Amino acid sequence: MDSMLLDIEKLNVTIDTAAGPLKAVQNVSLRVAKGETFCIVGESGCGKSITALSLMGLMPKRAKRRAERMMFDGTDMTTLGESGMRRLRGNRISMIFQEPMTSLNPVFTIGQQLTDVMRAHSRVSLAEARERAAFLLNKVGITNARERLGQFPHELSGGLRQRVMIAMALMCSPDLMIADEPTTALDVTIQAELLRLLRDLQQEFEMGLVLITHDLGIVSRIADRIAVMYAGQIVEDGTADEIFGNPLHPYTQGLIACIPSPDHPRMQHLPSIPGTVPPLIGGLKGCHFRERCPYAMPSCMEEIELKGHEAAHRYRCILPAQTSAAHAKMAQGEQVHA
Amino acid sequence: MLQYTLRRLASAVILMLFVSFVAFALVFTAGDPAASIAGEGGTAADAERIRSVYGFDRPLVLQYASWLGRVLQGDLGQSIYFNQPVTSILIERFQATMLLGVLALCFALLLAIPLGIAAGRWPNSIVDRVALLFAVVGQAMPTFWFALLLIILFSVTFPILPTSGGETWRHMILPTIVLGYFAAPAIMRLTRSGMIAALETDFIRTARAMGIPSSKILSSYALRNALLPVVSLAAAQFGFMLAGSVVVESVFAIHGAGRLVWESILRSDLPTIQALVLCFSMFYVVLTLVADIINAWLDPRIRDA
Repeated sequence: MDSMLLDIEKLNVTIDTAAGPLKAVQNVSLRVAKGETFCIVGESGCGKSITALSLMGLMPKRAKRRAERMMFDGTDMTTLGESGMRRLRGNRISMIFQEPMTSLNPVFTIGQQLTDVMRAHSRVSLAEARERAAFLLNKVGITNARERLGQFPHELSGGLRQRVMIAMALMCSPDLMIADEPTTALDVTIQAELLRLLRDLQQEFEMGLVLITHDLGIVSRIADRIAVMYAGQIVEDGTADEIFGNPLHPYTQGLIACIPSPDHPRMQHLPSIPGTVPPLIGGLKGCHFRERCPYAMPSCMEEIELKGHEAAHRYRCILPAQTSAAHAKMAQGEQVHA
Repeated sequence: MLQYTLRRLASAVILMLFVSFVAFALVFTAGDPAASIAGEGGTAADAERIRSVYGFDRPLVLQYASWLGRVLQGDLGQSIYFNQPVTSILIERFQATMLLGVLALCFALLLAIPLGIAAGRWPNSIVDRVALLFAVVGQAMPTFWFALLLIILFSVTFPILPTSGGETWRHMILPTIVLGYFAAPAIMRLTRSGMIAALETDFIRTARAMGIPSSKILSSYALRNALLPVVSLAAAQFGFMLAGSVVVESVFAIHGAGRLVWESILRSDLPTIQALVLCFSMFYVVLTLVADIINAWLDPRIRDA
């Protein structure tokens, strides 16, 4: 496991709320290899973003992080402290966010914000930093890069701002980029372009990419490995082929069934998973998904561990793999014939 | 930026013209100016003579035009009480008031902004509590009382500073503190709330995710956004300190413009009152203009609006 870029074992994040502690992330373990694309999938409110923020040490003030192991490229992040984490952030691990309209500082030029990132981590002249910024703006598909450096965020469209964010994240050639719903707020056509751009850049810069999304369509196009999160837990993880070809957790099966497909008959209700993510205050017992699960049974009240082979495919359900696989076939059959 | 400045300048000129008319017309709303100049013992004939000497019998618009023409040449008329040109009296009095106002503003900003940043950075901490206490005391305490307390402490109990007058820099210390402390709480509270709001924004999260040092995030990335409303408030406070320094000037016996307002009203010195009203309103127009230009420099979105 030495070649792992990111190695997280049993990450827990608890947020103090007026109604009691909220277990936003529970025993999440994930490993990302160098140059790999790792997708975290799930509905809103299931703990994806808070997982990403806590990897960066950027949790909200009232959140507490606990983990058995948090290694980044051989460095133990739990012992780093704020100044050590600051040196990693933007330098070796960078992050882009969902809201391109508000993620850039409105009162500074693009050039200033890009060069500040580089100058926060290395002793380079302003001219060198501007050179790098122009090069990267060009790289992310922005024309007239040099003129753009003098522009302010409000002069750019949402798509352009997200490109600027990507360029900013690349300023120090990070080893890992975390992208939290990077295309959700954008037009569909721009989504596809940006996704392609991210994939190309990832290959060119040999970065690990952690992509957080609720959109399985995106995941199917880009992921090497996938973790499906539900109510603060990973309910299934494995290679992209395994997750899409042989989904074993009823939640994953439900998510996949919800992807609209062209052969889907028109004017028919799109499939959906009934119910919503349960509130996480106070902690849930047993399988978190059982209230929405079509196959729930009394023994689902027990605590369930991830089972299966770690490198290939694991899932958190009491059903044997064969039964689950049969369910998955049935679900797919239903979708086609209904 | 230049375009924005010119546009703001043009609207400021229009505003000034309007304000000048109001200042001019004010004299006529208070009653018959000729009668009040003639005084209680004046006869109808006296008033009639004054009316023709001062030109009160001409149409209002004509009077305004000729008055404005003289004002533009720096002639604000003749003080009835001092029997001197109002312009020279005002220049003398405004020197003291301006000096006091600028010193008090600097004092207020130097006190309020660092305190506001610290309170906004650590809300509900001990720093924040102390800052809040300081603000509440500053806002609740009448200036004249605070001024007297300081005089008792620093001029009587420990005689290190003069009690009154405005001759040397040592005379200015206590008035500066009193006037500045009065303006500081509002600036401090606004800086604090601005910092709290700014520190919660997405772009500060971005800056942190990019490893920008927290000192830079605080002093530059967040502060510049937090200061926008503070600039407007500080400008208004400055105007208020100039016009509202009557109490402080009286307590410390400084011969400033604030005191002149009060004295002139008591003396019914109409030309002087009119000139003072005009000057103070012009200050407000200029200060608002300056605040807008500073804000446009701080925030590019204002420039392009």
